[in-house]
Amino acid sequence: MKEFIAILKNEIIKTIKRPRSFIGFGIIAFICLMLQSAFYHDGKEILSFVTGQLENVFNVEGKVLNGNLICFIVLQTLIVQMPLLVALVTGDLVSGETANGTIRFLLTRPASRTKIVLAKWIAGLFYTLLLLIVLGFFALFVSHWIFGDGDLMALNSEGLTIISADDIIWRWGYAFLIAFLSLSVVATLANMLSCIMDNSITPIVSVMAIIIVFTIIGMFDLPSFDLIKPFLFTTHMISWKSLFEDPIPFHDIWFSIAVLIIHIVLFISISIFYFNRKDINS
Amino acid sequence: MMKKLLSILLLFVSYQALAGVDPKLLIRDLNKKFNQVSDYKADLYMEFNLPGVKMKNLKGKVVFKKPNKFKIKAKGIFFLPKQNPMQNMSEMLIDTNSYTSIISGYETVEGKNCAIVNIIPLKAQDELILGKFWIDIKNPLVYKSQITTKNNGTIETKSIYGNQIKYALPEKIIVKLEINRIKVPKMMSVDLNKKSKPKTGIESKETGSIQLNFSNYSINANLSDAEFVD
Repeated sequence: MKEFIAILKNEIIKTIKRPRSFIGFGIIAFICLMLQSAFYHDGKEILSFVTGQLENVFNVEGKVLNGNLICFIVLQTLIVQMPLLVALVTGDLVSGETANGTIRFLLTRPASRTKIVLAKWIAGLFYTLLLLIVLGFFALFVSHWIFGDGDLMALNSEGLTIISADDIIWRWGYAFLIAFLSLSVVATLANMLSCIMDNSITPIVSVMAIIIVFTIIGMFDLPSFDLIKPFLFTTHMISWKSLFEDPIPFHDIWFSIAVLIIHIVLFISISIFYFNRKDINS
Repeated sequence: MMKKLLSILLLFVSYQALAGVDPKLLIRDLNKKFNQVSDYKADLYMEFNLPGVKMKNLKGKVVFKKPNKFKIKAKGIFFLPKQNPMQNMSEMLIDTNSYTSIISGYETVEGKNCAIVNIIPLKAQDELILGKFWIDIKNPLVYKSQITTKNNGTIETKSIYGNQIKYALPEKIIVKLEINRIKVPKMMSVDLNKKSKPKTGIESKETGSIQLNFSNYSINANLSDAEFVD
């Protein structure tokens, strides 16, 4: 166990210290600040796309443009892009070392291959968690600091749900947990491809391609796609949004969580299985 | 054409003469009740039932001061009809020189025998197109109204009176309006896990309602203007 912790510590430091890890933090900070600035200046116009439908008949009273709404919009925008940032770092944790030849030195340590794969996987998850913490800081705390608190007007395809400001903090907590689980699937998939492929770039590009294709399939309401949609992990990555519905569809959320966990278990099992049988030639 | 119009007018006049109700007298008596109130403050409980909008009921306060200061104070986001039913009714009826009133029929509303008083503005540039008020003949109070304006369409209200009946202040107002169901494009809502509902062709309007429940009225308490400041 001591050995495993030492490897894990080493892997976490290696992962965090890489320049590309900071690209992820920088991009998140940049996108958050950019969206916040856009909403600060043109928020009412942007919102009128939705509230305009109501404003013909109603006066919308209260502070619609607030920190909760901005966080909701930022999270819903970034949840599609964040997997790409996760893949950028976790996609070459193994394959990068294979390509460089440093994996051979790592394998000379007494720890088993399973422990090495698990250490790399956990390091990837730790990076994913850090990304989400940075996102949470900018999307939730900075947005509240700039726009203040207020009821959330949550947008979903069936309309609007107004959630009281007093009833929202716990929803954010669980939403970030589900977002972490969703991104963990991406990190595990990237880790799996990284174990299979020897090239540093191919696993990253493959993960990005898979996410883009799955997301496009999810966007279209075509009957032929409906059969496969429930099995795509991207379909369930957005399930955090269900926490902002009234009533909350807990059954759907639990189903999504189960699907995401099954993906993680499947991907990490394949990673361990493949890496244990892999010939390290370079 | 002229003959037709004259016969319709004659029909109205004879109908009202038969019924023995003068709309002007009804409105005058109603305005007397409105005039007793120079300001009021009350607790408010709002219940929303709007197509495409899910929201919880809200508590708040309502304040009014003559001639036209009106404010609903509540914590959070809520929707109010552009035509404020509380304010519009008295404002519309108070200036009797700005409209013509005719009785177009009689109907029982909330067990009261009501005359349906139609208000037609005299000036073409008025925002109001037609106001229909169901006014109790015995004790003139508006139990139902249907107001059609140029910009905000038609809203229907139903009033239920309680303790403050002598001031014509309702205990409950139910506002019914026809609105298009709110739709957020899937690309904007990023709902990958939701299937869009099939479109039925012509997008028909749906009826929504807002119920305003008033309690703990404080009438003519000399409210300060500060009550109307955010």
